[in-house]
Amino acid sequence: MLLLAGRRLASMLLIMIVISILLFLAFEGDKLALAGRVLGQYTTLEGKLHWIEENGYNRPLVVRYISWLYGFFTGDWKISAQYNRPVLEFLAPRLANTAILGLCVFIITAVISLILGVLAGINEGGLRDRVISVISVITTSFPEFASGTFLVAIFVFWLDWLPGSSSFTNGFSVKELVLPVAVLVIFNFGYYTRMTRASMAEVMTSQYVRTAILKGLPPRSVVVKHALRNALIAPFTVMILQLNYLLSGIVVTEVFFAYDGFAKAMYDAALFGDTYVVSACAMVAVFVAVLSQFISDVGYTYLNPRIRFA
Amino acid sequence: MSDKEHIWIPKLKQQLSDKKIDRREFVRYASLLGMSSGAAYMWAGKITGQPLAPPAMAQDMPKGGVLKIAQRIPKVDNPHTFSWVYDSNVVRQVCGYLTRTGVDNVTRPHLCEKWEASEDLKTWTLHIKKDAKWHKGEDFTAEHAAWNIKHCLDPKVGSSVVGLMKGYMLKDVDTGTKDDKGNAVMTTELWDANAIEIKDPKTLVLNLAQAQVAVPEHLFHYPFLMLDPAENGAFIVGSNGTESFELVELEVSRKAVFKRRPDAPGYLDELHFIDLGDNPTAVAGALASKQVDGIYQGNIEQFDLYKGMAHVDIHQVVTAQTGVARMQMTQKPYDDPKVRKAIRLATDPAKCLQIAHKGVGEAAEHHHVCTVHPDYKKIEPLGYKPEEAKKLLAEAGHPDGIDIEIFCKPDPSWEQAAVEAMAEQWKAGGIRAKINVLPSAKFWEVWTEVPFGFTEWTHRPLGFMVLALAYRTGVPWNESRYSNKQFDELLNKAEGTLDVDKRREILGELETIMLEDGPITQPLWRSVYAAYDKRVQGFEIHPTLYIFGEQLAVKPA
Repeated sequence: MLLLAGRRLASMLLIMIVISILLFLAFEGDKLALAGRVLGQYTTLEGKLHWIEENGYNRPLVVRYISWLYGFFTGDWKISAQYNRPVLEFLAPRLANTAILGLCVFIITAVISLILGVLAGINEGGLRDRVISVISVITTSFPEFASGTFLVAIFVFWLDWLPGSSSFTNGFSVKELVLPVAVLVIFNFGYYTRMTRASMAEVMTSQYVRTAILKGLPPRSVVVKHALRNALIAPFTVMILQLNYLLSGIVVTEVFFAYDGFAKAMYDAALFGDTYVVSACAMVAVFVAVLSQFISDVGYTYLNPRIRFA
Repeated sequence: MSDKEHIWIPKLKQQLSDKKIDRREFVRYASLLGMSSGAAYMWAGKITGQPLAPPAMAQDMPKGGVLKIAQRIPKVDNPHTFSWVYDSNVVRQVCGYLTRTGVDNVTRPHLCEKWEASEDLKTWTLHIKKDAKWHKGEDFTAEHAAWNIKHCLDPKVGSSVVGLMKGYMLKDVDTGTKDDKGNAVMTTELWDANAIEIKDPKTLVLNLAQAQVAVPEHLFHYPFLMLDPAENGAFIVGSNGTESFELVELEVSRKAVFKRRPDAPGYLDELHFIDLGDNPTAVAGALASKQVDGIYQGNIEQFDLYKGMAHVDIHQVVTAQTGVARMQMTQKPYDDPKVRKAIRLATDPAKCLQIAHKGVGEAAEHHHVCTVHPDYKKIEPLGYKPEEAKKLLAEAGHPDGIDIEIFCKPDPSWEQAAVEAMAEQWKAGGIRAKINVLPSAKFWEVWTEVPFGFTEWTHRPLGFMVLALAYRTGVPWNESRYSNKQFDELLNKAEGTLDVDKRREILGELETIMLEDGPITQPLWRSVYAAYDKRVQGFEIHPTLYIFGEQLAVKPA
């Protein structure tokens, strides 16, 4: 177990270093272009050269990379060109916002899709299964901007129950969270329901479940005690890997609701060409991706004894 | 009336009574020449026999409260280099301009109390308001104003003021160095050491190289904010200023919070600008659910949506706001005037207006002078003639038509729609255009560089002002690299001609050059609108969407 975790951590570091080299080359390889992006469109060539000299960009590439990486680990993420403030200070509250959104979506999606998936899976081919499956397929096929428009039209313009933007300008507000969460849950739960259903249905046909039923155990006990744990392995892995999506894949939803999160910040920075923010965002995204891999591996071991003892 | 009436004023009065100019133009020109606008309004009433009400006075405006306006919050740390209107809206609440052009297109003194122009329009004397003071208590002096003008005109700063004032304040000088191609690197400096003259602490004299009538209007060009020289051109939270508000909180792309200074003119306690991003639905949603009390500008797609909100007033105004598809004449195939004209001939502006802007506005005529401008001259429009366009292309050596690429941005959405409509029309003229849509922020990075691009231009009160900013040889915003000696000379002439009739003729010539040789295709003029909660009082929409916080008030909910 420890060995596995250690191996995983090591490979995580390696991946991050490789990606950081690629990012560094992409963003800071061409120092003249970098100066142009940082200083803005009106700067003269002299101004750029001056900036390059002033900020130590005339040092060898390797030295620059090492100092860049060092700065990254010591929390010096440089100054954002677009926002004119330290990247870390600017990104932290946005990460928190996205974490709140992601966590809500994650929990709600998990609960809904596990319940629906199990209900559908234990009765494969029945009416209940068909209804749940059809609903799942339909909701998953709505892109976020479509369901977003739909929900806003109903709850903001027609019923006037909910606020139309979610920028938290007056501090955190649960009301402002409802629509973005709803949009993401609607988009996501169908897929996980289908995953859970498939996994559950498969387990229900396995021999040990048949044995349990033949033993005369009540169906409830068969499902909860015998089938569920095994059926959860596949959906669990998929859901943990979803963390990464919840961090940077929700750009459409965040922009749609003016939700001030990490994905929107990354999107804006990419459009603006705000090099330091983009590279920081990329590093954070990579970190979360690798971390979720790690969690899923460890959790998988816990759920599946065959791996634990292998 | 001052006894030192400008020599042109009697002539203006004559023109007004001859109905050569209307009352509004009379007020504008009379106040440009130093007549107080109150007096100008009075004379206008006297001469025409119809009273013209001066702008509404503040009645019983509710005091106090917080007003929230949805508006993008870009970086605002270098006000003199602004190239958006909304960043100037942020600084405008704190720092003032020497003059101010109102919603009626009339320019009045603001930080100055009056100005006088010499007979030949080459010497302008600005009298700074006696009681104009900085927040920190110091007097606002002619020296401060002079520093700001010099800073804006410094080529190192890169302010678009250079484009407006280059003709009469600057001259080209050789830096003595050569670029890679061996061409001399040119820069600019004040045309005369005495161009900006400080007479006494409250009197500033501008000595111009050539006559210019629109000096006061140029002084209200939106980057031309009067900043505290001690801050060296920078603007941050807590910066010194002369206006009613102080910036107390600023988070780029999130919000800006202003507090009204005690005893400063105005009604609100606080003014907030809230950035809701690029998505117009979020903005409409925020107004519908009363998260904000007003929006900077409505998108044409959302027009019906705002109309449907019972608690909201729509404020609409016809403007010279537009977008132009401009070609760089330094790039093939646009270096051939025939190609440029062919693209114009293959464009049908009236249809573009219907398709792209729901008919809200006016069809344009490819010369970037709008019917709302007093010096607009009606000339024979080119018309939609795709066959002729084909013929011209053949003459230019493209018998099979041309394949081109046009860059535009998706926000606001009418721009992309207009480009798509034009590209469709061009096909009939043998012009096959690929449309390259760049995200807004990316677009503004390259807008001066792409060979063919669609750029939005804001409203300016006089017809020649945009021509001077955008098509004069060598100015920073001349993105089409347009260079035409005859055009530049006519432009200088127009800028020094006060008589509207005469100037109209000059603009007619300029317009003809634009049609025959010019670098643009222009589909439409648009009306703009903003939407405000009915609780908001004192809001009048400005043709350039300027927001003046001290005029706004809000009724308690």
